[in-house]
Parts: sequence; structure tokens; C-alpha cells
Amino acid sequence: MSTTNDIYILAAKQISVQPPLTDEWLDDPLRYAAPYARAIDPDYRQHFAPNVARRLGKILKRALLTSRQVAAATGVTNPDAIITGTGLGCIENTEIFLNALVREGEELLTPTYFMQSTHNTISSLIAIDAGCRGYNSTYVHKGASFECALADAFAQLESRRIQTALVGAHDEMTPGYFTLLTRTGYLGRAAAGFSGEVALSMMLAAARRENALCRLRGVEMTYRPDSNALRQALLRLLQRAQCTLNDVDAVMTGVSGQQVNDQLYASVCTALFPRKPLLRYKHLFGEAYTASGLGVYAAAVCLSRQRIPAHLFAEHRRGEQRGVGHILFYSHAEGKNHSFILLSPCGK
Amino acid sequence: MAKEIFVTGYGIASALGAGKEATLSALRERRTGIAPMRYLKTAHAEFPVGEVKMSNGEMMRALRIPEAAVATRTSLMGTIAVREALEHARIRGQSGLRVALISGVTVGGMDKTELYYLDFLENDTKNAYIAAHDCGACTEMIADYFGIFSAVQTISTACSSAANAIMRGAMLLSSGRADVAVAGGCECITKFHLNGFNTLMILDRKPCRPFDAHRAGLNLGEGAAYLVLEAEDTLRGRGAEPLCRLSGAANTCDAYHQTASSPNGEGAYLSMAKALEDARLTPKDVGYINAHGTGTENNDLSEGRAIQRVFGDSVPPVSSTKPFTGHTTSAAGGVEAVIALLALQHSFIPVNLNFEQPMPELAFTPAVTERPPVPLRHVLSNSFGFGGNDTSLIFSTL
Repeated sequence: MSTTNDIYILAAKQISVQPPLTDEWLDDPLRYAAPYARAIDPDYRQHFAPNVARRLGKILKRALLTSRQVAAATGVTNPDAIITGTGLGCIENTEIFLNALVREGEELLTPTYFMQSTHNTISSLIAIDAGCRGYNSTYVHKGASFECALADAFAQLESRRIQTALVGAHDEMTPGYFTLLTRTGYLGRAAAGFSGEVALSMMLAAARRENALCRLRGVEMTYRPDSNALRQALLRLLQRAQCTLNDVDAVMTGVSGQQVNDQLYASVCTALFPRKPLLRYKHLFGEAYTASGLGVYAAAVCLSRQRIPAHLFAEHRRGEQRGVGHILFYSHAEGKNHSFILLSPCGK
Repeated sequence: MAKEIFVTGYGIASALGAGKEATLSALRERRTGIAPMRYLKTAHAEFPVGEVKMSNGEMMRALRIPEAAVATRTSLMGTIAVREALEHARIRGQSGLRVALISGVTVGGMDKTELYYLDFLENDTKNAYIAAHDCGACTEMIADYFGIFSAVQTISTACSSAANAIMRGAMLLSSGRADVAVAGGCECITKFHLNGFNTLMILDRKPCRPFDAHRAGLNLGEGAAYLVLEAEDTLRGRGAEPLCRLSGAANTCDAYHQTASSPNGEGAYLSMAKALEDARLTPKDVGYINAHGTGTENNDLSEGRAIQRVFGDSVPPVSSTKPFTGHTTSAAGGVEAVIALLALQHSFIPVNLNFEQPMPELAFTPAVTERPPVPLRHVLSNSFGFGGNDTSLIFSTL
């Protein structure tokens, strides 16, 4: 198998707690103090027929619109693969059906919300909308859902089994599920940080095109590694990409303000890349199972524009960084699944 | 397949029993596992189901899991099947191998969520089950029982979840990201999806009758099944005996409707045709098709037409084994892969129970006799899910 690859993120579109469908967060980020924030939805009436907008839940509207926009931006209207990562899937529809079941019993239920409750509703809706009969899959693995989807796409692009892939990260957070995840300590109990929502669609291709955002050099994942296994996973990533740690300009992590989460990041960063500048993204987008999708998107935008705004740096910094080489993205999902993703500018 | 992928073990728990021996004897003796409801507490006890005939407590004792531990029915069944698969393949801890667990599931811990949902919302007494609700949690509970997995991922494509997990497991091996992949799926019956299927009016009150003119819906089942996959270098390195090969796989999307299949079975046609292409086989090479065959009016017509489009007028023996196991939803791709492997290894056709009247729209009828016309060399297994997530796997003798 070849160790060189030429895989690009052609375009990415997001709907989140930052202004939708733009990169405004780069220079004018919105700040959130409350522990719970919902995404800023665009005016869907401008994009969908009224019956479509009514029929679809929030997560589906967001997924469909971001997907359509990256398809339009790249001209890839029929990607070879559609792969979604979602921690909770269509949780709003699931809750509606579940609430009716638990509170009103089993006799009065209707199929509407059940039909759009399965996690794969997102990928299949996008496929139905665009008429894509290719590979279609959905990863549902907590905070590693997006990384699983990206790793699948990367492996298939690398082997040239496919030429293009639409990869998504989608999670909505209902008030009900926010309460549940506050009880488990995943959300809400931290001194800092907040819960956000994610809709991120990106188009990947196995060939460079004009206006591509950046190169995707590799994805490596490992489960419950000891420190040696974690180091080995990082080395495998760098080796496959024919890079060394010296090539890495900055490391982006999922520090969120939640103490347990952040301590683990701190210890791994100290052990593996002690002298690298650290970047963050959850201060902008909040915590969510697939928040890492927005992190990779933020890194891709920085690579494309060749600048990193000061607010993305974890340590205080005056002014932005001009010129960006490789960005290493590192995420852990509650300390279990750990993922490394390497991105570089198009020319490198 | 980009690289030869071998099956070196498998494990199963379904309505036919726990273990491959129980499964094989039930199939050969034409003993169905579908029975009146016993374990699920629901107002809809009128529907026959394919339950795993063990309570959660019995499964916990069999696995030596302490009674007080947090466990969901889905993860317990999954753990039983993974344990058998690992023993079959003789994979133990500290092997130095990178062993991946790829599991397909959809309802996850919903069995507990629907029981404790009001507590979830109102108090802190059942927080451990909130954390056990999602699909990833289910896979992690299975993985952490063994503590040998260095990659753990979850796929959810509804009723093709396990088949896609098997396909992804093979890709992890061919891309060099794992040495061994344990792949399949698990799912228990919940009130949530029993009621969901009931609102769609696709549950039969009688034993299901796939590919029969009078079919009237599906029977829900539950279970878990996993295959152990590895490439030749790992196999040789550890001196393991291959059982057969996963020779082809394809995942396509029907792109037609959220819950219904297209009339001409476009997605199903493509998944079968592309799996054959992946295996570098022609339709005449296939000796047996384990159909998705749910017993719903829509699936069997759509799948039947797709089979005819691929195989023309020489359709090999086709059967749905869902009259044995019920529709095990996310586990179905694994359960039926194991059944296809048993058929291949023992060269018999698992019969399509409950068949009486041919469907007027189809030129073929499902298999009702065990004896294959020629010894089996290649078998095809179909798994189709909501959203048109269609996957076909091909298993071949060595």
C-alpha cells in the first residue's frame, strides 16, 4: 500500500452557535456565558420549500443545508460516499417518540417521529436529496463519532476505492438531553465551557482542486491506550504522512473548560508535544459529541487563510499568527478513544 | 477485497440459542426460535418475537458480571457473542496484536432508557443508565469486558449496521490499521422499536412468511453475532486456522425513501452487483443467497426483483432465515453472516420456513430443501436498513 496520499478538504460549511454558513467566528467570534446554547439557525425558508422545512427536524435541516452548500461550492453533487458522525443522532425525534411512549402508553403512537429517529436518517436524507447511491454510513460513537467517519473516508480515499466523500458531524442538543448529560457530568457542571450544537459538512477528494481548504494527511485512532500506545499511534500517523513532529506548527485540542477533560489534554500535550503552541476551538463552538468536526473545520479555515487568530491560542497571545504549516489535531473522548488528525496547507 | 480477508472465528446469540452449535442444530432440525413474548414487558404481547431465551440476570451470571453492575441487554448479548468469537479464533489478551472491535447497534441502551426515562429527567438515581444509553456506550461496555481492544468503533445504519461493521472491519485490515477485527452487531428488542414498527404496520401477528404471497410483516428478533477477521500475514504469524474468506462486500444507498425500499430494488441490486464485482465473481458462482427477507410486503418484492435483476433466470437457492430468528435489526447482518458461514462450512441450505404460496411477481420461490444442487463455494448475505442503507457480503470457501 502506498504511504503517500493526496487527499484534500475541498470545502466545509457549518451551522453552530457561531453565525451560520460563514467563517465570521474567525474575526468576530460570539462568546457564550450560559452553560447551554443552541445553534443559530439560518432562515430555512430561503433554502427549502415550506413543506420540507416543516417536515424535517432541526438536525436534519442543518445537515441537509450544509451538505447542499458544500456540494454547490465544490461542484461535487454526487459524492462517492456519504459518511456521518453523530453522537446522538436525531435525538429530538427520539425524545418525542419516547416521551409519548413513556407518558401516554403504547396505544396512541404515530410513526412520524419514529421514522426520523434512527441515527442513519441524516446520511440517508442527504443521499435521497442528492440521489447518491454510493457508500453511505453512519458512525455513532460518543465523542469519537466524527473521527470514525473521517477515518473511514480517509482509508477509502487513500486506497482510491472512492474519489470523493461528503463527511459530516451532526449533533443537536435538546433541553431534555442537556439535563441528562448534566446529571452524568458530561455537560454543565464545569466552571467554564458550554454545551453547543454541531452541523458540519465537508467535502473530501482524492485530488486537488482549485480553492481547496487544505490537505488531510492522516487519521489515526486508538482506544484506551497506555502512554506508549498513544505515542505509537502518533508516530504511525506522522510516518504514514512522511512527516515528523518538527513539521507540526501547532496542536489543536478539545479543551473545553471542563476540569477532568482538560487535565487529560494537559498531561498528553506535556508528554507528547511539550513545546508546541496549543490551539482550541470549544471556547467558540461549545461541547458536543461531534464538536471535533468544527475543530477540524476551524483548523482547515486557518490553513486556507494562512493565519490563526489570537483567540484560538490556548495561551494568551497578542495578535494573530501569519503563515501556517502543519496543524496536528488531537482529541480524546472521555479519555477512551483518542484520535490524531494531521492537516497541512494545500501546497505542502 | 483489496486484500484477502479470512474468517477465523465467530460467535452468536439469538432466539436459536447461544452458540454456533445450538444455531446449527436448530437450522438443520427446522426448529424456530420465534415464540410468544416472554422477556419484554409491553402492552403488545400479541406479537410473536425471537427473543434470546435468557434473562439479563442469567446472562450476567454466565459472563460472571456482578449482579449490581450496570449492563444493558444489548451489551450483554454482544458480550456473549464476542466471547465465543474470540475463543473460536483463539484470540487472547496480551497477544501484541492490534485488535479492533467494530459493532453495529441502533437502540443501544434504550431498554433501560424506556424503563427509567422519567427518573432520568427528574432525579439522579439512574444516572449510570444515562451514560449507558447511547450506541457508543454499548460497544464500550462490550470492549471493556475483555480489555484487549485497541480500536473500538460503532456503526449505526439501522438493520444493516452489523453488515457494515463487518465491511468496515475488513477495511481496517486492508488499510493496515488493525491486525485483527472483531466485527458484527447486537440489538435487544425494546418497546421503542417494537412500537415504532407497529405504527408502521409492518409486524405480523403470525409467524412471518418471507417471500410468500400472503406475507403480512415481520417478527422482531434480538441477538448478537460477531466474526473474527484477519489478513493472511497475521494468520500465518500466529498460526491460526482460517475457516473461510470474506471475499466481497458492498454498501450502497437506495436513495429512495426514509423507511421504504424502491419498487425495483435499485439499492439492493447495486449492493449485490458491487459485492460480486468486489469479490471478482459472477452471479453463477453464488451457490446460496441468505436474503434480507423480512416478510414485509415491500422488502420482499423489492429484494426479490433486485435478485432477479442480478441473477436473471438462474437464481441460486434463496432463503430468509428470519422465520428462525426473527428480524434481529442491527444484529441481523452478523446473525445472518454466521448462518451463511454455517451453510458454507456444512454445505447445506438453511430453509425458508413458513413458505406456502409463490409471489406472483417473482419467477423464483425460496428454498425449502436443505440439499444444495452443487457444493457451496460462495454464499451471499443481504442486509438492508431504513434509509435505504443496503449492504451485501460474500463469503467463500478457502
